[in-house]
Amino acid sequence: MSNFLQYTVFGVMVGAGYAIAATGLVVTYTTSGVFNFAQGAVGMIAALSYWELVSAHHVPVLLALVILLVFGASISGALVERVLMRRLHGASTERPVMVTLGLMVILTGVATLVWNPTTTRQVGNMVNGQFRLVGINIQYQEVLIIGVALAVAVALRALFYSSRTGYALRAVVDDPELLAMSGVSPNRMSQYGWILGFMMAALAGVLLAPTQTTGINIEAMTLLVVNGYAAAIVGRLKSIPVTFAAAIGIGLAENYILNYIVPHVPQTLVPDITNALPIVFLFIALVTVPAVRLRAAGRLTTVRAPRVASGKESLVAGVVFFGLAIVAAIVFSHTVFRGTTILALGGVVMSLGIVGLSLVLLTGYSGQVSLCQFSFMGIGAFVMGNIAGGGSLLGLLAATLVCAAVGALIALPTIRLRDLYLALATFAFASAVTRGFFADGHIYGNGGLSIGRIIVPGVSFGNDNAEFLMVTAFFVLAALMVLAIRRSLFGRRLVALNDSPAAYATVGLNIGFTKVAVFAIAAGMAGLAGALYGTVQGVVGQTDFEIFPGIIFVLFVTIWSIRTVSGAFLASLTYVVLSQVWFNGLGLFAGMGIILIGRAAGGILGIEALQFQLPWVKRSVTGTEGVTAGRQGAIPAIGGETRAAG
Amino acid sequence: MPLVEQTAGTAVLTVSEVAVRFGGVSALTDTSLLVQPGTVTGLIGPNGAGKTTLFNVISGLQTPDRGMVHLFDTDITAMKPHRRARLGLARTFQRLELFGSLTASENVQVGLESTVKWWEWRQLRRAVPWKRGSTVANANVPDVAQPPASGSLALATCDRLLEGVGLEGRGGQQSAAMSTGLARMVELARALAIGPKLLLLDEPGSGLDESETAALGELLCKLAAGGMAVLLVEHDMDLVMSICDHIYVLDFGDVIASGTPDQIRSDPMVQAAYLGEAAPVAEPVPGAPRPPQSIPDGFGGSP
Repeated sequence: MSNFLQYTVFGVMVGAGYAIAATGLVVTYTTSGVFNFAQGAVGMIAALSYWELVSAHHVPVLLALVILLVFGASISGALVERVLMRRLHGASTERPVMVTLGLMVILTGVATLVWNPTTTRQVGNMVNGQFRLVGINIQYQEVLIIGVALAVAVALRALFYSSRTGYALRAVVDDPELLAMSGVSPNRMSQYGWILGFMMAALAGVLLAPTQTTGINIEAMTLLVVNGYAAAIVGRLKSIPVTFAAAIGIGLAENYILNYIVPHVPQTLVPDITNALPIVFLFIALVTVPAVRLRAAGRLTTVRAPRVASGKESLVAGVVFFGLAIVAAIVFSHTVFRGTTILALGGVVMSLGIVGLSLVLLTGYSGQVSLCQFSFMGIGAFVMGNIAGGGSLLGLLAATLVCAAVGALIALPTIRLRDLYLALATFAFASAVTRGFFADGHIYGNGGLSIGRIIVPGVSFGNDNAEFLMVTAFFVLAALMVLAIRRSLFGRRLVALNDSPAAYATVGLNIGFTKVAVFAIAAGMAGLAGALYGTVQGVVGQTDFEIFPGIIFVLFVTIWSIRTVSGAFLASLTYVVLSQVWFNGLGLFAGMGIILIGRAAGGILGIEALQFQLPWVKRSVTGTEGVTAGRQGAIPAIGGETRAAG
Repeated sequence: MPLVEQTAGTAVLTVSEVAVRFGGVSALTDTSLLVQPGTVTGLIGPNGAGKTTLFNVISGLQTPDRGMVHLFDTDITAMKPHRRARLGLARTFQRLELFGSLTASENVQVGLESTVKWWEWRQLRRAVPWKRGSTVANANVPDVAQPPASGSLALATCDRLLEGVGLEGRGGQQSAAMSTGLARMVELARALAIGPKLLLLDEPGSGLDESETAALGELLCKLAAGGMAVLLVEHDMDLVMSICDHIYVLDFGDVIASGTPDQIRSDPMVQAAYLGEAAPVAEPVPGAPRPPQSIPDGFGGSP
C-alpha cells in the first residue's frame, strides 16, 4: 500500500511538471493560434541559465527566478512575437510550425555552442528535505512542483475567465479584427500570450531540471515537453483545467506502468517501453479526442503556384540531370578527386533528395507536415539490412512497403483532426523512435547495422561510380513520379485539399482517405531513401536518423522551396555540404534561414527578384491578367445546354 | 398559415426543426424548410439570422444539436460532407473557398473528377465516342454530347462549364488571382461540375455588377428549369424577388415567414422585422423619395 502511495505521489509530481509544460502550450495556442514547438527548447535554455546563475555563479534562487522569469522569459516572449510571429498572421498552416521549429533548432544550436554538451550539469532541488505522511516519504521539492503547477493553473483559469484581459486574450485568435474594433489591440494581446507562454516554459524548465538525475541534457530537456502533448490534446489545446487533469493522469499512468508492469517485461525492452509511453499516450489522446469540425476558413491562398513541368519537360530535365551525374561520376573517379568520398557524399545527397521529394509531395502539395521522415529512413534502412542479406532489390521494396504501412498507421488517428495534430503525432513518433527503437542495441547493434551494396543479376553496383549512378537514377525516377502525381488527378486533389478542406469535402472528396494515402506514399519514399542511404553508407546507426537533423532537413527544404523538385535537391545538397563543413551549425543555418524567409511559402526559389536573375528557374505567371481583366465578362446564357442535358 | 408546407414527400431537401447553439447563443431555433425540385428557393434574413449556419448544417460542416435533414428520403443529418455531395448536394461559400493554387479549369476539374469512380478516370481523360454524354452521368452539367475538338473529355466539359458561367477563355488563370465576382463564378462552375440535384448558393451575387447579376439570375432560372433545386442566400433583394419561386425569411434563427415573393413583400412580420413595428406607411408625395415598398437592399448580409 505504501508503495502505491509513493508511486502516486511521484506520479502526481511528474504529472504536475507535464501540466506546467502542457499549460504553457495551451496558453500560447489559445492566444496566438500557434503551437510553439520551441516550448521545450525555451525550458531547456531556462534550465541551463538557471544552472549558470545558481550553480556556477551562486546567485540566490529567488533572484535567479526573477531574472529568468520576469526579465528573461518575458522579454524573449515579447521579442519573438514582435519579430517572428506577428508577420505570420494569415499565413498558411505549416508556416508557424516551421518558424517555431526554426526557433527550436536555433535555441538548441545556441545551447550547444554556449554550454558544452559533454559537461555534466546537475541542478539541485530548490528546497531540500522531506517529511513523512501516511507512511511515505515526500520531498519538499515534490510539494513545490505540485503546488506551483496548481497555482499556475488556478491563476491562468482566473485570468482567462474572470478578467477583461483574459476575454481579450481568448478573443484575439477568433477574430482579431473584431477585437480591434472594440478598442483592444490584438497585437498586444498576442504579445501577452507569448510572454505568458515563455514564462510557463521557463518555469517548467527550471522546476523539472532537478528531476534530470544525469544532469541537464540539451536534447532530453527539449523533448521533455513531448510528454505534455497528449495532455494538451486532451484539453483540445484550449482548456487549461482539462489539460491539467490529463497531465496529472498521464504522470500517474506512467508511474504505475513503470513500477507495476515494466518490472515484469524483459530488461532489454525497458528503454523501448519507457520511451514509447509518450507516443502511446498521444495516440490514445488522438483517438479519443472529439473530431474537429471542418470549417470554411475563408482563407484564399495568395501564393502563386509554381509552374508544373509537363511530362515531356520533366523527362528531358531528368535525362539531362542524369547525364550531368554521369559526367560528375567520371570526373570524380578519374581525375584528381579519385579516392575521395565525394561520390559517396553524392549518393547521400541523392538519397536525402528522395526524402526532400517526399516532403514536396506531402507538405508542398497537400500542406501536411511530417517531422518524422528521418525516422522512416531509419526504419527503411533497418528493413533493408535485415532482408535477404542486406543488399537486394527485395530489401528496397520491403523498406518502401513497411514504411508506407507505418506511415498510414500514424496518419490514421489524425485524419479527423486538424493538420497540426499530424505534425504533433509525427514529432512524438520521431522522438519515441529515436530514443527508444533506434537507441536499442538490438536494432542497429553496437557497431551499427551493415547494409551491403545492391546486387542485381547481370549488373554490378560494386564500385562508387555505379552506386552513385544507381541512387541518382532512383532520385530522378522519384522526381519524375512526384511531378507525374502533381499533374494527375491525385495531384490536383492534394493541392485542392491544401487550399480548402471545406470545399474539398463539399465537392464529394474524402479528406481522410487522401490524407492517409499521401502520408503513406511519402513515408514509403522516405523508407526507400533510408534503404538507399544504407547501401551508400555501408553501415548505419542511430545517429544517422535522429530527430533534430530530421527537423533541420525539413527546414532546409522549406527554405529552398518545399513546392518544387529543385527545392528538394538543393536542400539536400545544402544539408550535406554544410554538415561536412560545420555539423553543429546546421541548426543555426536552418533556423536563421527559415526566419529570414518568413511567410514566403515559395521559399528562395519563389522569390521574384531571384527568378528574374535566374530565368531558367521557371515559374507560373498564370492568373496575373485575371486581376485586371476579371470584371469584363458578363455571364452568357447557359440554359439551352442545361435544359438539353436535363 | 404554417411556415413550412407539409409536402415533404416530393421535396429535394427537408430541414426539420433544426437547432444549433454556439455556447449561450442560439444560431438556429427549430428551423424547418423545404426545397422542391425545379425551383429556386430564397433564404433571406438580416446579418446574424443564421443563414450560413443553416447552409453549414445542410452541407455537413455543422452538426445540429437537434433536428433532422433529409435529402430526398435519405437522412443526412449525421452524414459526412463528402457523402452528402455524392448524393447530389453542392454548395458555394459566402467567403470564397477556392482551390486558389489551381487554375479555374482545374478547380472545375476537381469537382468533375469527384463524380467518377477510379476505374472511370481513363474515360474522362479520353474522348471516347460511345461514352460521351454518359460518362458524366448527371442531368445538370451542360451538354457534353458535342465531341471536344481536341484534348480530353474532362477538359472539354470544364470548358463548357466555365463558358456557361461566363468564364470563357479564362480556364488557364490561377483562380486566386481572379476578381471576387469571377472567383464566385468559378465556385459556381465547380459546384455544377459534381452534377448536383440540390445547389446551395451563399451570396453568389456579391461582387457582381448589374449585368452580371442579371445573367446570374437567368442562369439560375435555367438550372431550375432543368430540374435542379436551388437554395439561394442573397442580399440583392431585386435578384431574390425576381427569380425565387418561394422564399423563407430567417430572423434570430427562426423562420418568421415563408411564401411567394409577393407574399413576403406584404408580410407584416417581415415588414416589422425589417422596417420596424411602428413604421408608418406614408402616402407618396410627388417628387419626394419613394418610401420602401419592399425589403431594402443589403438586408441579406452575412449570417
